[in-house]
Amino acid sequence: MLINNDLKTLDLTVGDVFSQNPRLKARNVSVFYGDNKAIDNVTIDIGNKEVISFIGPSGCGKSTFLRCFNRMNDTIDSCAVKGEITIDDENIYDKKIDVVPLRARIGMVFQKPNPFPKSIYDNVAYGPRIHGLSENKEHLDGIVEESLKRAGLWEEVIDRLDSPGTGLSGGQQQRLCIARAIAVSPEVILMDEPCSALDPIATAKIEELIHELGNDYSIVIVTHSMQQAARVSKKTAYFHLGKLIEVGRTKDIFTRPQHHQTEAYISGKIG
Amino acid sequence: MNNKIISPSDALDIVKKSIVKRRSRDNRLKLFGRIAIGLAVCFLLTLFYSIFTKGYPGFFQYYVTLDIKFDRERIDPKGDLSDNSLFDGEASKIVNESLYSIIQPKGRKERKIAKKIVSSGKDVRIAKMVKNNPSLFGTTAIVKFALDDDVDSFLRGYIKRETPENERRISDKAIQFIDKLNEEGRISYEFSDYILSGSASGNPEMAGIKGAFIGSMLTLSVCLLIAFPLGVATAVYLEEIAKKNRITEFIEVNINNLAAVPSVVFGIMGLAIFISIFGMPRSIPLVGGMVLALMTLPTIIISSRAAIRAVPPSVRDAAYGIGASKIQVIFHHVIPLAMPGMLTGTIIGMAQALGETAPLLMIGMVAFIVDVPNSVLDPGTVLPVQIFMWADFAERMFIQKTSAAIIVLLGFLISMNALAVYLRKKLERRW
Repeated sequence: MLINNDLKTLDLTVGDVFSQNPRLKARNVSVFYGDNKAIDNVTIDIGNKEVISFIGPSGCGKSTFLRCFNRMNDTIDSCAVKGEITIDDENIYDKKIDVVPLRARIGMVFQKPNPFPKSIYDNVAYGPRIHGLSENKEHLDGIVEESLKRAGLWEEVIDRLDSPGTGLSGGQQQRLCIARAIAVSPEVILMDEPCSALDPIATAKIEELIHELGNDYSIVIVTHSMQQAARVSKKTAYFHLGKLIEVGRTKDIFTRPQHHQTEAYISGKIG
Repeated sequence: MNNKIISPSDALDIVKKSIVKRRSRDNRLKLFGRIAIGLAVCFLLTLFYSIFTKGYPGFFQYYVTLDIKFDRERIDPKGDLSDNSLFDGEASKIVNESLYSIIQPKGRKERKIAKKIVSSGKDVRIAKMVKNNPSLFGTTAIVKFALDDDVDSFLRGYIKRETPENERRISDKAIQFIDKLNEEGRISYEFSDYILSGSASGNPEMAGIKGAFIGSMLTLSVCLLIAFPLGVATAVYLEEIAKKNRITEFIEVNINNLAAVPSVVFGIMGLAIFISIFGMPRSIPLVGGMVLALMTLPTIIISSRAAIRAVPPSVRDAAYGIGASKIQVIFHHVIPLAMPGMLTGTIIGMAQALGETAPLLMIGMVAFIVDVPNSVLDPGTVLPVQIFMWADFAERMFIQKTSAAIIVLLGFLISMNALAVYLRKKLERRW
């Protein structure tokens, strides 16, 4: 107990925050909403082709932190990010960095399925179109097909690509959003509670999909469900009140948490 | 025992007692609502009834049928159908002669009275006919001529036969002639060919709304072309691009205030700036449209901003999330989704502009202009100003013409609103 208390006062994260083969590196990242500090001095690596879960009680800042990786917080006027997040040793918060290519490299899937009010085809084709990724119509068709296949949606929508994306069921919509993110060939996919609006069957499908996608992409998933974190991710990070408390292999976090707060959360005492 | 919390059975009694009161309050509210709607419908029906019953006769007028000998030498002395030649011709005389042959006036005095029965536009009508169809020359054809407005009013019964002669605008002799024409079956009541295709005229029987209608169209086109892009661009900038700070707040407050500025003030501004400083000509639809654009801008901006704000943030997130730039998000997602709301606001603004009189009086669109404007640089007037002018004229016949013009204006408005509903329905994404 003594050690844990020391760690708490020292603001250090327990566990191994570094990765041998990092894709994204966050160093001493703090996020402010006006004067309110939402994320406090977080350091963590996101490994290459690795699925990592961010867990923690509501309001702990895990979604805010996730949105730092593709600078989605830029759209909020009062939000300020300090510290450094690097991809290929380039600080993404550098003034020279353009968010447009950054967001093409780091895709995002949101909590609520949010397909565009367009056809299924146009939903997936939108990204490649705006980034000019396709050479011609056949190539674009190919990208759309491949993306939908990877998202496990192709079979279900093959004969209605022209019907509206918003007409699909919730789970299908979320997979459509994943296909849309995949279509621009990202390296990292950020998922902000992708299953919280879905029923258990749709959730199972998405989880399976995340598991498969983990072979090709680095995936960061924010989730409220510890079971989900345990099922889909290799690594897990526990956040509490804006601080990163503990990072480790998912197995270890859930079976042998080192920090007392992690333990309390895992065992259901807080959160 | 804690007696601050009432026991369930007591609570039920209290709730039951209060329920009667609540119900009656609900019912009272419903009743008030119904009364209000009923009153509104009554007023509306009364309005429409009075306008249509008064305005309907304005689309018709009395004509006299005469046999006209199209004698080329007399109508077109130079033989080249030019305006000059036709002006020098004796078309009026031919019409008068044909009229005299029916009613047989005796002496100069009676002929003078007889002449006045037919509208003074008779020579213009003949000139138009021969211009359109020169093969008429050498033939005798039956032609209908509008009757003078006093004769028209007499035939409609507005001028009474019983009124002493010196108190009415039409003499006993004239009445005698009219009776004669009536006996011969020469007088008919028909759809007026002046009301829709004529322009401003001092002779009420020849006055029409074509000039004002075209003027309104031109003015509104200018207004739309200026106000819509400017308004939408302003709304997009304020909502999507500008940082929220003191300056944008100040601009916002001022836009809202601008919406409440009386329209006549915009007219004075147009007079002071467009006409005095920039030296633009007065009375032209271009200036009118610019003034009306200033007036409708706030309406368009406010409704466009509301429409933009109603675009779900999830769509924006989705687009930003796959790397769309700000401009792409705005043009690919925000504007298409906000378009129905923007169009609704725009058409409401246009409808306001269509009915606006005061600012146009200020910039001189109240002038008496006979020619139909061909471009936005030709002097012209607009429907509401035309109505305003006609309502001011003394002749009895202008009352019907005024109501007829009001009907046309309302028709214009209703079709604009119908267009708004159609566009909204069509553009609205139901998915």
